[in-house]
Amino acid sequence: MPNVLVICGSLRKGSFNAMLTRALPALAPEGMKLTDAPRVDTIPHYNYDDQAATGFPPSVTALADAIRAADGVIIVSPEYNWTIPGTLKNAIDWVSRMKEQPFKDKPVALQSCSGALLGGSRMQYHLRQCLTSIDALIFGRPEVIVTFAPQKFDEATGELKDQTTRDMIKLQLAAFAKFMERVK
Amino acid sequence: MADKLNVITIAGSLRKGSFNAALARQLPKWAPEGMSITEAPPWADFPTYNADDQNASGFPASVTALADAIRAADGVIIVSPEYNYGVPGGLKNAVDWVSRIKDQPFKDKPVAIQSVAGGPLGGGRVQYQWRQICVFLEALAFTRPEVFVGMAAQKFDEKTLEFKDEAGINFIKQQLAGFEKFIRKVEG
Repeated sequence: MPNVLVICGSLRKGSFNAMLTRALPALAPEGMKLTDAPRVDTIPHYNYDDQAATGFPPSVTALADAIRAADGVIIVSPEYNWTIPGTLKNAIDWVSRMKEQPFKDKPVALQSCSGALLGGSRMQYHLRQCLTSIDALIFGRPEVIVTFAPQKFDEATGELKDQTTRDMIKLQLAAFAKFMERVK
Repeated sequence: MADKLNVITIAGSLRKGSFNAALARQLPKWAPEGMSITEAPPWADFPTYNADDQNASGFPASVTALADAIRAADGVIIVSPEYNYGVPGGLKNAVDWVSRIKDQPFKDKPVAIQSVAGGPLGGGRVQYQWRQICVFLEALAFTRPEVFVGMAAQKFDEKTLEFKDEAGINFIKQQLAGFEKFIRKVEG
């Protein structure tokens, strides 16, 4: 049964993307185990000189180990300035430099929420471009692109209440489970 | 408008031996008469962006220093490596911070882009990601000539990091001259 790591690209407490990650276990197919990745906010800015002098920080190796140990990864991220949040990209930049590069041949699915009508899709296509460079096995469709997020979550409880979105996520997670099985 | 345009460079790499930072430092040599080029304040110590922190304690001093420098400049040149076919996370985080400031510093600001890479494409993929970001920021992204420096290891002096590729220098001179005209045009 697949063990899936969930990486969230937003740090703020009230993040819709974080709410989305919390909705996933209830929508996952039977046997899929979802685990939150170690937080990325303690990872320093990538600087090759630091890597050469002191190696990889524990926050980076913890994330890399978690990715390696997982059967697949789901990245759930907001879009900042029409692309990937700097913090999330910085985390990917770090782990990509490691020997036994953790994303290599790793199945990865993408999800995003935004307040507006494109739902973070521009960020997702940039992430596909970046994941290509690190040889991840990028899951195709169905895509999970949650538009007009404030209408789809209960703001008080953080619950994802939009049925169409819930159905789409179920479809993606079920298909992602098959994809992971196929490429294993 | 001042006789001499004030243009600042923002380099996307932190390592000391960075080709991109080296190129940014050398740009003043190839600037046209009417343009002064200096380095922007550093972004190396920016914290990771978190809206909760922004709400609790506002913008860090290092962020407002960069924002002020961008606002005060007539134009900005981003000199960026390509990490994993995309924008380096560290510099993107810096842009994420300054983009949240009222009187958003990149709005209507002329921006030129350059990149250096070890491979043959010279950072082509990262530049088009920057252009997409500039659309959101409402920056005025300068178009052509573009400056892509490929096969960097052959074009910089190994010890001094001096950029010595004649063809590349010509492209840079043309870009900077074009950027000057562009700035004067859009600033009226």
